[in-house]
This record gives sequence, structure tokens and C-alpha cells, in this order.
Amino acid sequence: MRISTKWNTWLTAYLMILPLIGLLTVFAVIPFLYAWYVSFSDWSFYDPWKFVGLKNYRQVLLDPKFTKSVIVGLKFSLYVVPASLILAFLFGHSMRHLRGKSADFVKTSIYIPTIMSGVIASIIFLFIYEYQGGFLNYAVGLLGGDKIAWLSNTKTVLIAIAVPAIWLGFGLTALIMLAGLLDIPESYYEAAELEGAGSFTKMFKITLPLMKNVILFLLVLGFNGSIQELVLPMVMTQGGPLEESQTPSLYIFNHFRDDILMGNTIASAILLFIVCGSVAAVLFRLVNSEKAAD
Amino acid sequence: MVTGRKNALLWIHYLVCFIVAAAALFPIVWMAIAGFKSKAEVLVTPFRFFPKEWITSNYAMILKDPVFSRSMLITFVGAVIFMFLSIIIASLSAFAFARLEFPFKNTLFVYAIITMFIPGTALLIPIFIVVTKMHLLNTMAGLIIPGIASAGHMFFVRQFYLNIPSQLEEAALIDGSTRFGTYRHIFLPLSYPPFVIIGISSFLGYWNSYIWPVLIITEPKLFQVTQFIGNFRSERSSEEALLMAGGTLTVIPVILVFLFFQKHLVQGIKLSGIK
Repeated sequence: MRISTKWNTWLTAYLMILPLIGLLTVFAVIPFLYAWYVSFSDWSFYDPWKFVGLKNYRQVLLDPKFTKSVIVGLKFSLYVVPASLILAFLFGHSMRHLRGKSADFVKTSIYIPTIMSGVIASIIFLFIYEYQGGFLNYAVGLLGGDKIAWLSNTKTVLIAIAVPAIWLGFGLTALIMLAGLLDIPESYYEAAELEGAGSFTKMFKITLPLMKNVILFLLVLGFNGSIQELVLPMVMTQGGPLEESQTPSLYIFNHFRDDILMGNTIASAILLFIVCGSVAAVLFRLVNSEKAAD
Repeated sequence: MVTGRKNALLWIHYLVCFIVAAAALFPIVWMAIAGFKSKAEVLVTPFRFFPKEWITSNYAMILKDPVFSRSMLITFVGAVIFMFLSIIIASLSAFAFARLEFPFKNTLFVYAIITMFIPGTALLIPIFIVVTKMHLLNTMAGLIIPGIASAGHMFFVRQFYLNIPSQLEEAALIDGSTRFGTYRHIFLPLSYPPFVIIGISSFLGYWNSYIWPVLIITEPKLFQVTQFIGNFRSERSSEEALLMAGGTLTVIPVILVFLFFQKHLVQGIKLSGIK
């Protein structure tokens, strides 16, 4: 009797996890292992598999376009992540003081861009950046500046793509930041005020130290998202001008389209994975060491 | 005097928040309004926010485009199926991992969680190869199945199930309920909060996805909304007002879903225990 109940529980459990484990195996684990296998071969949809050792990796690393795309990706993250975090922090700092209906309204409004698709964001911003008749050049004109071709100028293109990325991600970043800020007990600030602490002291002695973990978490999240950005540059610039906005993911995607040998494409995806993974690992290390210090 | 300064400061906080909110909404509102403009007016110099004359023909025209309305319908149906399947898969496995004991439980749990750390970019093309080999190109199944299993969603529901007290469950087991019976009659009816959150996240994920449909769908009758919009912009680039109207229509369903469930979503950020 007892044994049969135990067996029944086991059977129930295995049946219940089967869909998850099975699908993850087919659509995550196998593709991932397969990617490693393909990266060591000359393989296309039409030819048999042939082992070529590290040839693909060597080719990718020697391809200046790949190196450039990694630099573009890092630059892009450097525009997106700090700007989002600083904006979200300042915004959350103000948001803490809002009450009632206006607080609800503001929260809802800032979250709405987060539920938009990258394609829609790309198209709206394409129009905003339009040389003739776009909103941005109109605003620049009002301030007395000259029109700029935002998306075909190598100096401005990446920043121009970073703005919609910030816009799309801001809602989530800001709400997580706000949740963290609201977790800091009001009494800390009151006590500090009694001791005569000013705004700066409160900011640097209370708010920032207590927010460190939230900020580091958002840093990892933001970095992982922005280094893999694909849709925005794909729709807005196709990577141009002069590959100045070709992010690593777009490089991989373009490569996939142009090159029937999969090994190269997949080797670059794996290299990107290693870059992402190591940066994330370093950042996580920082998070953990911080927790240990608590 | 101190209160005067405090009051001024409070006004500044309000002002900052409302400016940020306006900046967040501006692009979307602009798009919706541009849909009411005549073709020549969308990118007119000097810039004008509101149209000279409000026209509704863009919205009417894009709705009459059979490829567009079909893509809206088919994406919506796909998103709903996707949402339900994700919820079912996450919930079943979450219950087993939260409440049942079985051999290799921890190993299997870690196995599932590890998949969360594989970046999407590294998987995109290998999954495409798998899907090609399964002959799922140009099918709804190819759009839906690869994404429905999510370790993140399972983890989220599991956290919720771990917090449900065990007395009810024990009482039911003594009364002769099976393990699956306790899931069906006790856990499932309580699961509304986590289901809303993973449901919305899967619905939005499906509705907004672009790269995946572009990779595997080439037949116009299976075009997804984002794909339709992307193609429209490269193929009919001179019809800006029509594009804006189409874009607005694709955004309406997600905004409605969001507004309807937003209370639960904000709760979800708290539930997720990020901080």
C-alpha cells in the first residue's frame, strides 16, 4: 500500500514535469549543445558535417566586422545602461513623494512603453528622427541648431538608437528602482534630519548604500539586454552607416543570412555568449561580495 | 518657512514625474494622432502635433487590408494559445517541484533553471535549425511551441506554491485525494495571481516578437502583426499615415490587456522578490 502510494507520487511528479523538461531539452539544451558541435565544423543545410577544429573561431576573431560589432555593442550598452539607471534613480527619487491618483497615473504612463514591441518603437523613432519634418530636427531648429541626419551620421547613429532602447526599458527599470527606494524605512531619513544631515548626506550615506544591490541587479539586467539588442538597429538602420550601428546580434543575424556555412555564424554566437557571460559573471561577483559585506 | 520650502520641493517632484510620464507617452500619442493625418501631413515642415483636419480614412483603410486584419486575428489567436500553454506547463511543473518528492528532483530542477542563463542570441539559429528539421517552418506550431516552456515562469509559480500552507493539502490526502487531486482542487483555484503575471508576460512576448516570425514565416497568410508592420514600412514607405494607423491598431490590444491587469502586474514585481 505504502509503496504503491510512493510510486504513484513519483509517476505523478514525472508526468507533471515532463512537458517542461521535454520542451526545454528540445528547444534549449539540444540547440545549445548542437551549437557547440556545429561551431567546430564546416556545415550547411546541404553538406555533411566535417570537423574543422577551431577554424571558425579563428575566422570570426580575425573578422574586423565582428570585433567592430562587439565594440558597437559595448558602446551601445554604455549609452543605454548608465543613462537608464540614472534617469530611473532620479525619477524614483521624485516618485517616492507622490501619492494617490497622480502616483497611479504616472506609474501606468511610464510602464506603457515597456509593453510595446521593438518594431513599433523603431518606426515611431524613425519618424521622430526624419530629416525633413521630424520632431527632433524641429526641436533642434527651435533652439537655433542646424538639422542633423541622425541615423545616417556615424557620430549620432548609435545614440539615436539608444534613445528608443532607453524608452522601451525605462518602465521596468524605474519600477524596480522605485520598489527598492520605497523599501528604505522613512525613519532612517528622519533620524538623519534630526542629526542635521542635508540632502547630499542623506543621498550618499543612506540612499545609495542601501540601493547598491538593486542597482547592481539592474546593471546586470540592463547590460544583458542591451548587448544583445537586435530589433532596433535591424529595423532602423540595418546596421549602417558603415556598420556603425551593427550590434553583435545583428552581425550574427546578417551573417546567417549571407553565409550558408553555419559554423562561422554559430561560432560568433558562442563568442558573444562568452563575452556576455563573463561580464555578467563579474557583475554578479560584485553583487555577491556586497551581500557578504552586509 | 521650512514648510514653504518643503512645499516647493514637493511641487518639483510632481513636475519631474509628470514630465517623465509625458515623455514616455509622447511617442505613442504622436503615432495615434499621426494616424488621423493626411498622407502629406505626417512629416510636414514645420512640425505640427495635431492634424489640420482629422481624417479617419487611414484607420478604415488599414482595417480593410485583408493581410493586416488576418495578421491581427492570427497573432491574437496564437498569443492566447501560447499564453494558456505556458501557464499550464509552468503550473504543472511548479507544483511537482514545490510539493512532491521524487528521485532526481534537485538535479532536474537545476537542469531546468540552467536554461535561463543561455542567452537568446546563442540559441536563435540552433533553434531555427531544430524547427526546420521538425518541418515546422511556416506553421503556427513553429511560432508557438519553441517558446512555451519557460523555467523562469515555472520558478515564479513555484515560489507562490511554496508559500501555500500544507494543512489543507494534508487534510485532502487523508480524505483519500490523490496528489494530482490536491493540485487540481486546492492549488489551481488559488493560482490566479501568478497566472495573471506569467499570462501577461507570455501574451506580450508572443504579440511583440519580431525576429522569430521573420525567420520562420514566409507565407503572407501566417504573417504576424509585427512582421506586417515591418514589411509595410520597407515596402510601402511613402504611406506614412497608413503605417501610423496600423501601428496604433497593433498597440491597442496590448494596452488594453495591460490596463485591465495592471494592478496585478505591479504586485508581480513585488511578488517576484527582486527587492
